[in-house]
Amino acid sequence: MGHEVPEFVVDGLVEQTPEGPRLIGTRCAGCNTLYFPQKSSCANPGCDEKSPQPAHLPAAGTLYSYTIQRYQPPSLFRIDDWQPYIIGLVELGEGVRVMAMLTGIEEDQLRIGMDLQLVTQPLYTDSEKGEVRTFKFAPTGKFAPAGESA
Amino acid sequence: MRPVYALGAGAHPWGKWPDKPQVQLASEAMDEALADAGLRWSDVQGLAAASSRFEGGMGWGLHANELVQTVAEQGIPCINVGGACAAGAIALQTAYALVSSGQYDVVAAVGAERMPKGFIPRPPGSADDRTDDDYLRWVTMGATNPAYWAIEARRRQHDHGTSDQTLARASTLMRRNASGNRRARYRDPISEDDVLASPMVADPLHLLQICPVSDGASAVILGSEDFVARSGKPGVRVAGCAIGSGQFGDPARRIPTIASTVRDDVSHTSEVTGAVSRAFEMAGVGPEDIDLLEMADNTAWHLLAWPELFGFYEPGKGDWMLEQGKLSIDGDLALNPSGGFLSFGEATTAQALLQVSEVLWQLRGQAEGHQVPDAKVGMTAVLGLGANGGSVILTR
Ligand SMILES: [Zn+2]
Repeated sequence: MGHEVPEFVVDGLVEQTPEGPRLIGTRCAGCNTLYFPQKSSCANPGCDEKSPQPAHLPAAGTLYSYTIQRYQPPSLFRIDDWQPYIIGLVELGEGVRVMAMLTGIEEDQLRIGMDLQLVTQPLYTDSEKGEVRTFKFAPTGKFAPAGESA
Repeated sequence: MRPVYALGAGAHPWGKWPDKPQVQLASEAMDEALADAGLRWSDVQGLAAASSRFEGGMGWGLHANELVQTVAEQGIPCINVGGACAAGAIALQTAYALVSSGQYDVVAAVGAERMPKGFIPRPPGSADDRTDDDYLRWVTMGATNPAYWAIEARRRQHDHGTSDQTLARASTLMRRNASGNRRARYRDPISEDDVLASPMVADPLHLLQICPVSDGASAVILGSEDFVARSGKPGVRVAGCAIGSGQFGDPARRIPTIASTVRDDVSHTSEVTGAVSRAFEMAGVGPEDIDLLEMADNTAWHLLAWPELFGFYEPGKGDWMLEQGKLSIDGDLALNPSGGFLSFGEATTAQALLQVSEVLWQLRGQAEGHQVPDAKVGMTAVLGLGANGGSVILTR
């Protein structure tokens, strides 16, 4: 284990690097705008060049806001052992805000502005693909930098 | 450009109508609007319909064509417009342009909807990969629409100290307004305790702070000055009519995206604030002139935040306005005297036209049971998927 290429819920959103998981976004070489997820162009109306290039997003951010998803979403969302979970809106810098499940924290510990780091965790086990992961954010230092928390 | 008047309006009551096809709801709303305007189908020179993705329109969103083929085949132009929950506003804007240009004298806008049960299914042909925002929000984190609104509400609590009680009070205001409105679906008054005791959906939003879905239909007939006298009612002018789309850098948590790039100088919910600003400019009025505002209250949070975004008062003051009763029917700014989405449930494509109908009836003094005293100027504001916004100002 550990060196296998992990299976994610969808291709092209996140990848493992030696420094840990990284979200894959787009930086426009024309106006330097950073986007997530990857974009086919640049939506900045003042940018004429529109030159989207793949880019990693910062793996560390701060909590901008959050909620708790109290009821089970429709079946397109697949998860083993469903129970209510936290969804956070995380500021990653350069104006980029990303929604993601939060992990490694209890509801009463949530503080807007707290430091978070990107991790990946299994959502469910598929009979063909095996363990399937999504990206989440956890309190900084809660899990190993590699981010492959159980 | 010539002046445009709201000649008449109709609205089928909101609810669940399993025995009435969508086109019948549309037809009944149109019949009421025609009667309200003192007109007949044969007077209608053009029809703009909000396209629904759920029912009718021959599967191609041809809801105007379907309606005239059902009740009045008379060769008139049929224009079908998309805009999701803002489609009614886009239909109205279309009708407005056809009349103001002088091309036609009487044009109707209609929206009718029967909402599916349970979760709204993904449209056919959607890509199951990272290029589809809706797919991403489900598979990566199962983020429901209430989660998006709840994230806004939680941040408001952080920024402005909005209490759970104040958020609950916004729901009670809508029910109190609806209690006198025969067209509303939910008319029983509720207390703040009732709201806070209802199931938590997405913290801090409870079930009674989130609009459900309903079936409903509404129609508005616009026309030139020559047709105003037909109704025998006071003339009401469409003083402002604007639609718009979102701005790059908008900080709103836009459904169904999972991320955005925010720019500090861009308005929150820019598709709506942009339309509102243009409507103000067209009408030559400002927030201080508005007697009532009918706005899309998908949640209690919207009721607190949106008037601030539109410039009615400074950010954070909505809580005080609500607590002081200044947003009540007899207050400084009557906020959703109809009872709003929270009391009607959302019938997506019909909703914006219901708002305009409500304002027309208010300005004519026809809002039986929920009349805003001496209403002279009313405004609407609505938001739809795809970052569509619309706003209308009526004056008498
Ligand atoms: Zn660019």
